[in-house]
Amino acid sequence: MRKTVTGLRAWLVQRVSAVYMLLFILFLLFHFLLDPPHSYLAWHGWLMSPSVSIATIVFFAALLLHAWVGVRDVLMDYVHPLAVRVSALALLGIGLAAIAAWVVRILLAGQS
Amino acid sequence: MRLSIFRFNPEQDEKPYMQDYEIELEPTDRMLLDVIVRLKAQDDTLTFRKSCREGVCGSDAMNINGRNGLACITPVRELKEPVELRPLPSFPVIRDLVVDMTQFFKQYHSIKPCVIDNEPAPERERLQSPEDREKLNGLYECILCACCTSQCPSSWWNPDKFVGPAGLLQAYRFIIDSRDRATQERLDDLNDPYRLFRCRSIMNCTEVCPKGLAPSRAIEKIRLMMVKDSL
Repeated sequence: MRKTVTGLRAWLVQRVSAVYMLLFILFLLFHFLLDPPHSYLAWHGWLMSPSVSIATIVFFAALLLHAWVGVRDVLMDYVHPLAVRVSALALLGIGLAAIAAWVVRILLAGQS
Repeated sequence: MRLSIFRFNPEQDEKPYMQDYEIELEPTDRMLLDVIVRLKAQDDTLTFRKSCREGVCGSDAMNINGRNGLACITPVRELKEPVELRPLPSFPVIRDLVVDMTQFFKQYHSIKPCVIDNEPAPERERLQSPEDREKLNGLYECILCACCTSQCPSSWWNPDKFVGPAGLLQAYRFIIDSRDRATQERLDDLNDPYRLFRCRSIMNCTEVCPKGLAPSRAIEKIRLMMVKDSL
């Protein structure tokens, strides 16, 4: 029977999200260097085009997952009392979820 | 030569202290162990482990000027004075430079360090091709001196749950052995949040290994095998 709690999944999430974020940041850099938007409207239109807005949502999902695995690893290394660690992980989860909600709100507000 | 050596005798001392020594080098003092063996003739309370005195047994692993190594293969001429000798970091001290390796060997045994094959034995020996034997090079040479594990921050924080570089190098040595039949069980055993995945690729292990082995590469290869296995 396969174990449900593995270390591989978190490790893979961290690696894959890092690669995606790197590629997305390079894409942003090249876009702003080669074809910079000349007005707010042009920038807004570009950001809200389906492909860019999906890529942006995926970027923030990758960022939050990456942060979750990274900080979780630090807490697992240094915080050993179970109650303190569970509380710290819960705080981290709430904090990241709040940031996720904020990102969704900004991106949705931009759609209208 | 000036030396500053960590001293602690739990029966007498309340806390550890550093003791300074000065010793005239002789032409026969080629390695650090030669010097501390002569030092023991001066001060017989100084305690350390040694055996083969040629980098094969792994007994005299210690922290030499901040870096783990074997005293018997550390040339005296390359050392900056005063030479600071301490026991292996993070291991419980028994006395002076002698540490308790119980936890280290417990982790080593946890990876089942022997070929597992429950199939009926063949009439003659279990053969291995030269190519398969080649895969064990760089792995089987480990002498379990604990220089790597004692210098690994992940082992400092979770010595009871993280197998550590020495144990993981040995785990890979049996995972890759063509005669072993328990590859899947070995991979499953290591696939939890602690046993293998506490490794942050800090690579102190590979940096300090006195035998020039690369536990960090072995760990990377185990991870890749797990990725392939999960796809």
